[in-house]
Amino acid sequence: MTILYLILPLALVIAGAAVCAFAWTVRSGQLDDVDTPPRRILFDDQPAPRRAGSARAADTPR
Amino acid sequence: MTAVALARASCIHCGLPVAGGAAFCCTGCEVVHGAIAEHGLDQFYALREASAPARTTAHDYGELGDPAFQRVHVQVDAAGTAHTALYLEDLRCTACVWLVERAPQCIPGVADVRVDLGRGRADVAWDPAATSLPAIARYLDRIGHPPHPYRGVERDALRRREDRALLTKLGVAGAAVGNLMLLAVALYAGLFGGMSRGDAGLFRWASMLVAVPALGFAAAPFFRTALGALRAHRLHLDLPLSIGIAAGLGWGSANVIRGVGEIYFDSLAMLVFLLLVARWIVLRHHRRASTAAELLLALTPSRAHRLARAGEPADAIDAASDTATEVPIEAIVPGDIVRVLVGEVIPVDGDVVAGRSTLDVGLLTGESRPIDVAPGAAVHAGTVNVASPLGVRATAVGEVTRVGRLVAAIVAMSGKAPIERLVDRIAGQFVAVVSTAAVLTLIGWSVFSVASVAAGAEHAMALLIVTCPCALALATPLAVTVALGRAARRGVLIKGADALERLATPGTMFLDKTGTLTAGKLAVVTWRGDVGAARLASAVETGSDHPIARALRAHATPAAPAEQICEELGRGISATVAGRRIAVGAPAWVRQRSKSHPAVEGWIAEIAERGETPIAIASDGLIVAVAGLADPIRDDAHAALDRLASLGWEIHLLSGDDARVVHRVGAALDVPWSRRHGAASPEDKVAAVTAARALGPVVMVGDGVNDAAAMAAASAGIAVSGAAEIAIEAADVVLRSPSIADVAAVAAGAQATLATIRRNLRCSLVYNLVAGGLAVSGLIHPLIAAAVMPLSSLTVLASSLRSKAFRERA
Repeated sequence: MTILYLILPLALVIAGAAVCAFAWTVRSGQLDDVDTPPRRILFDDQPAPRRAGSARAADTPR
Repeated sequence: MTAVALARASCIHCGLPVAGGAAFCCTGCEVVHGAIAEHGLDQFYALREASAPARTTAHDYGELGDPAFQRVHVQVDAAGTAHTALYLEDLRCTACVWLVERAPQCIPGVADVRVDLGRGRADVAWDPAATSLPAIARYLDRIGHPPHPYRGVERDALRRREDRALLTKLGVAGAAVGNLMLLAVALYAGLFGGMSRGDAGLFRWASMLVAVPALGFAAAPFFRTALGALRAHRLHLDLPLSIGIAAGLGWGSANVIRGVGEIYFDSLAMLVFLLLVARWIVLRHHRRASTAAELLLALTPSRAHRLARAGEPADAIDAASDTATEVPIEAIVPGDIVRVLVGEVIPVDGDVVAGRSTLDVGLLTGESRPIDVAPGAAVHAGTVNVASPLGVRATAVGEVTRVGRLVAAIVAMSGKAPIERLVDRIAGQFVAVVSTAAVLTLIGWSVFSVASVAAGAEHAMALLIVTCPCALALATPLAVTVALGRAARRGVLIKGADALERLATPGTMFLDKTGTLTAGKLAVVTWRGDVGAARLASAVETGSDHPIARALRAHATPAAPAEQICEELGRGISATVAGRRIAVGAPAWVRQRSKSHPAVEGWIAEIAERGETPIAIASDGLIVAVAGLADPIRDDAHAALDRLASLGWEIHLLSGDDARVVHRVGAALDVPWSRRHGAASPEDKVAAVTAARALGPVVMVGDGVNDAAAMAAASAGIAVSGAAEIAIEAADVVLRSPSIADVAAVAAGAQATLATIRRNLRCSLVYNLVAGGLAVSGLIHPLIAAAVMPLSSLTVLASSLRSKAFRERA
């Protein structure tokens, strides 16, 4: 069972990476509003004329 | 009328049935449909889930372009793009989001619009050189979403930081639970299947390396609250929780390093995770309730029409003129003359300089009768102009107005001292019992058994850990969350758990009359004499906007068109209808021009005695009928009061209206004589509430500015539908449905919620007794602890979902 000594730390590192990824999504504001985005995916017919400079409302200075 | 049904069609915009083949149900729908079609946005109708008649205003939003407004609410970034947040009315579904976010295609110069459906908020970015905020606002208005300045931007940002911090901790705790469970399963399997000491040691060390940093981070809020409570010499539920978590982490780590003894990391992680989930759910509910209340606040008018600046001559001011400039309310100074159109709220304290009109002062003083004003009369901010345009010279503006001072007093009072929560009281006793038991266990096992002190310590630690009051901590939040969620679904906004606990113990309940128990507007309630005269009176009043005229019009359909209408403001109105000269007005005024007789005088006296307003109707010089006008009692008021009384509340009427009117309403609702308090000023109301608080819990139910101070002074305040913004601010509970029956529902719901909390607490205490007993006797096994801990939490969850609170009609 010596393989455990390699696999176990490896699994924990992967779990740690997942936690870091989650923390990043929270910090970048992706989970601030969970009601509207699921509806927005329904608008698929024409590309929204959204400009790069103001892509995310959460990042806009205020 | 024939029985043939008219051809029925649906409104193209909202789908409501319309009669006679019309395309739209109202002009609002027509305007919005026109705007949508003009911009090629017809896909709106395909995306739509819910529909309602559209609302637009013809407002030009000039005040949004004012430099004073722009300085506060608009930010310009480095690229020259301006940003602001707006609150939009009537945001309901996917189609609304789609429609609003198409704005950049329809108005050149708009860079981006982002909608937050839950908050009703839109973040707008535009190029100030190409378009203006008023133009954007007018567009949003025309597509059926009238915008308002979003006043909670800073608060939103602060809350977002809190929410993000809690969510991160929740994620970390969740990941820790998952991984520790897997490690624990391996260890338990090894327990039965045989596992080498080295391999077990690896798993134990891995568990510790995951648990200590992850839980140390995720449980930090509990440690912080517990420390804060200790420093303030107060007991808090987080204290036993922190002791349990800290003892578990410490003892588990010691055992890992020693290489022997139990570890409890998986149970602890589950505990912390469940607690954080409960906290997160509660926070979300609170946010939703408070955002909704704030949105109502954001809807207040913030502008005034200035006719003349201070120092300019006041003569030759025409109140109805179009020369007024629209300015933010902050720009008005004492001495300025403002125009107040019919239906508008007077923005300042001041004196009338032009025009005669009638004011509805109910919101400020609780009086149900309209007040007539003429040049020279003093008027107060917050009252509503109902008859004809007025010019008002401001004497006080903003915080120094009468209503402003009242508001300041209310805000100062609103910070209610936190009540000692039931669960915190239990937590205090819990700490004492568990720590005593732990010490006794240690001593008992050390002295009376052959085993060593180490075994005593082991059992004492097991006791501390397995009794860590997870279910106890979940008992209140779960019950409250279920109650708040169900209440919100039926239009009752409750601002937090404290409010529910305060409403749960019956005591004295003061109800305001005007607008709370009554409809808040005049109607004909008595008619004496010729019934046919009602339609003549209705015809005479056709052109008038006076509240009495509206009541008479609502009472009967006009008999024929009126001619030669002659109105004397504040006295009466006369006109020729179908060849007869009809006069309608105050009895004294009508008597001057018409003959009365003893029967009529009897009717007038009888109506006045009941506290109703008598209105005489004369036809061709003879008084033929007398109408009694009053503010009618809401249909459901009687049933609501009966239900409240059966719940144990002592009902009092507390009104600023005339004592006779209060007695009339009290008699109709079976409220005893001694519990009817009339002609109470806002200050009297506060005094009454304060006096009653000495005897027990006091709830104030009301709607007006005049009730708000009393609401803040009471143990809990309830604002009914249509309440003034300051009443909403001062209240703990806001009703959004116009039904007064919801007051009773709130009281019943609060009692049911407290019953659920008690049941939850009993469940968790029984569990702790059993688990504690096992630990003291040394029979506990980590596997049992791991199984029983979540089980107790699930019991509490099931018990909360079974709660009767706000069940009916939900």
